Amino acid sequence: MAELARLSFDTQGDIELATVVGEVDASNVDELSQTLLERVSNKACGLVLDLSRTSYIDSSGISLIFDAAARLRNRRQQLRLVVPPQSFVSEVLAAASLQDSVPIDPALDDALRAVGSG
Amino acid sequence: MAPDQEGTPAVDEAVAEAAIGRLGDVQRVTEAALAFLDLEDLLNELLERVVEILQVDTSAILLVEEDERTLAARAAKGLEEEVERGFRIPIGRGFAGRIAATRQPVLIPDRETSALQPVNPLFAEKGVRSLMGVPLIVEGELIGVLHVGSLTQREFTEADVALLQLVADRVALSIERSHLAVQGQIAQTLQRSLLPRTLPELPGLSMAARYLPASREAAVGGDWYDVIELGHRRLGLSIGDVAGHGMPAATYMGQLRSAVRAYALEEHRPRELLTRLAHFAERERSRMATVIYAVLNLDTWTVYFARAGHPYPLLVRQDGSTRFLSEASGPPLGTGAGARYDEQRVELESGDTLLLYTDGLIERRGRRLADGEAALAEAAVAAPEEPELKVRTVIDQLTEEVETGDDIAVLAVKAVGLHEVLEVEVPAVPEQLATVRHLIRRWVAANGGGDDDCASFAIAVTEACANSVEHAYGPGDAGITMRAEVGDGVVTVTLTDRGTWREPRGENRGRGIPMMKEFMDDVSVATDEAGTTVTLRRRLREGS
Repeated sequence: MAELARLSFDTQGDIELATVVGEVDASNVDELSQTLLERVSNKACGLVLDLSRTSYIDSSGISLIFDAAARLRNRRQQLRLVVPPQSFVSEVLAAASLQDSVPIDPALDDALRAVGSG
Repeated sequence: MAPDQEGTPAVDEAVAEAAIGRLGDVQRVTEAALAFLDLEDLLNELLERVVEILQVDTSAILLVEEDERTLAARAAKGLEEEVERGFRIPIGRGFAGRIAATRQPVLIPDRETSALQPVNPLFAEKGVRSLMGVPLIVEGELIGVLHVGSLTQREFTEADVALLQLVADRVALSIERSHLAVQGQIAQTLQRSLLPRTLPELPGLSMAARYLPASREAAVGGDWYDVIELGHRRLGLSIGDVAGHGMPAATYMGQLRSAVRAYALEEHRPRELLTRLAHFAERERSRMATVIYAVLNLDTWTVYFARAGHPYPLLVRQDGSTRFLSEASGPPLGTGAGARYDEQRVELESGDTLLLYTDGLIERRGRRLADGEAALAEAAVAAPEEPELKVRTVIDQLTEEVETGDDIAVLAVKAVGLHEVLEVEVPAVPEQLATVRHLIRRWVAANGGGDDDCASFAIAVTEACANSVEHAYGPGDAGITMRAEVGDGVVTVTLTDRGTWREPRGENRGRGIPMMKEFMDDVSVATDEAGTTVTLRRRLREGS
C-alpha cells in the first residue's frame, strides 16, 4: 500500500537525480529531506530534483527545497528543479518566489543539461 | 456392593428443620464467601465452618474433574496433605467414590472394622475413626463430595447427616455461584480486551459498532468486530463469527481477531489476508468461523473486501437504495485447506453507509435468509443516518420481540455527506493532513468548484491544519474542527483549534499564511482564550 510520496534516485554521470512521486506535506517532509541529503554524495556536482510527478506540495515542501539548496550551496553543489509550467506545484513554488533562489526547468533534459554545463 | 456397617439413612424433614437454626452461621458464611473470587479460599472458609458446626476433626471437599470420572481434593481441614498431594479418586471407588456414584450420604462408623475404606491412606495415617460424607449437588448435577471425620469413634446420627447435607447444599450453591462469578469476570475481561473500546475518529467518516451477546449469562460469544488503523491513510475493518458461544468460542474469537490484526498490519490485501487466516485456522482447530476483512482508503473512500462465508455487507446509499455486496466469495474458515478468496471493490460516495454484521442480526428460526436480508435492508434505510443511531435502531427493530439465541455484532461506516454543510473533527496529527486535504477537495468539487478551486482549498486547509498541528498542541490527541459551507458561489472554511496561535519560528518557516493568502481571496486568523480560528474564503472560479 502506497506511501504518501515515493522518492527514487538515479545517477546520471556526476549528477544525482531524485524523483518525488506523490504528495509532500508536513507528515512526510522530514523523512524525505533526510533521505535526500543522505543520498547526495560529495562527489556529485549537483542534484536535480524532479517534481513533475509530484501531485501536491505545500510550504513544508518549499522549506525542504530552501533547506536543501542552502546545504548543497555550502558544499558547492548545484540544485535544480524540474517543474512543468502550469502545474499545481509550479503555482505553489511561484507563490513562494522560489524561482529567485533555485533555478527551475520545465523538463528533465533541460535541468540535466544545465547542471552538466554549470 | 458388599454389605457393611455403613448405611444410607433417610433424611428426616423434621430433624433437618431443627438443624436449620444452627445454619445461621453457615448461611452468613456462604453469602460473605461470595467475596472470595478464588475458589480455594472460598472452600477453606466453608470447611472451617463445617468443622466448627459439626464438631469434627477433619473435613474435605472433593470436586468432580472435567473428565467427570474422577474426584479431586480441592480443600481440606485436618487432612491438608490430601489437597497438597493432588489426590484423585475414581468415582465409584472407596468411601468418597461411593458417595459420588450413589449420590447418597455414606457413613463409616468405625474405619478400623469397616469393609468400605477410603482410597486415600492418609485417613489411616491420621487415625481417622469415623467418617460421614454427602454429595454436593446443584440442580440435579453432581459437582463433588463433602465429608467429615472424627479421630475418636463416633456414631453419626441422622440429624448429623441431615445437617451435613444441608451444609453441603449451601456449599454446592456457593461453589456454583463462585464458578459463575469467576466465569462472568473472565468473560467480561475477555469481552473488554477483545472488542475495541473506542473507534478511531477520522475526518470524513463516522463509525459505530455494537455487540450483543446471545444471553446475559454468557456475556460473551464468538462474534467480533474490529477497526484497525493501518497507516498510509488506510483503515482495516474486520467482522467475524466463531461457531458456538461461551468461553471456548470467545477465546478462539480472540485468537482470530488478533491474527487478522497481525496480518492486517503487515499490509496484506484482503484476499491474501483471508488466505493466511484460513491456513492459521486450519492449524489452530476445527471450529468453524466466518469473517470479512475490508480495507478502506481514507482519501478516496474506496473499499476492497474479501469474505469467508460471512453474510453479505450491506451498502446503504444516501438516496435510500440498498445493495448486498455478494460478488466476493470464499468458504468459511475451518472447512478445509486450500481456500481461495475473491475480492470485491466498492466506492463509497457522499452519505453512503457500509453495514457489516453477523448472522445473528438476520437469521431467525423458520424464516428464509432472503427474508431476513430484506428485513435488514428495510430497517437500515428507515433508520436515522447517523451511524450510532442507525446501528441501534436496526438492532432494536430486528430483535424486537424475538429471542435471537445468537450473538449479534454490527459495524457501520458512513462517508460524510458532501452536499451539505461539512463539519468534521480532525485529529491534530500530521498523518491526517492528507485525508483532510482529500476531503475538502471532494467537498469543494461536490459543491461546484473546479480543479483550481479544489487545489486552492486543499493547500490552504492543509497549511492551516499543519499550523495547528505544529503550534496549537503538544503531544496528544487534540482536535481541530473544520467547517465548510458555500453561499452565493463563495466557499468559506473555518478551522478552529483550542490552542494558541504561535508565530511560526525558524528560518524556513512562516510560509504558511502567505501561502494561504496566495490561494484564497480572504484569510483571517482570530485568536481568543478558547483557541484559534482560521477563516478561509474563496469565490469559486469555475464549475456550476
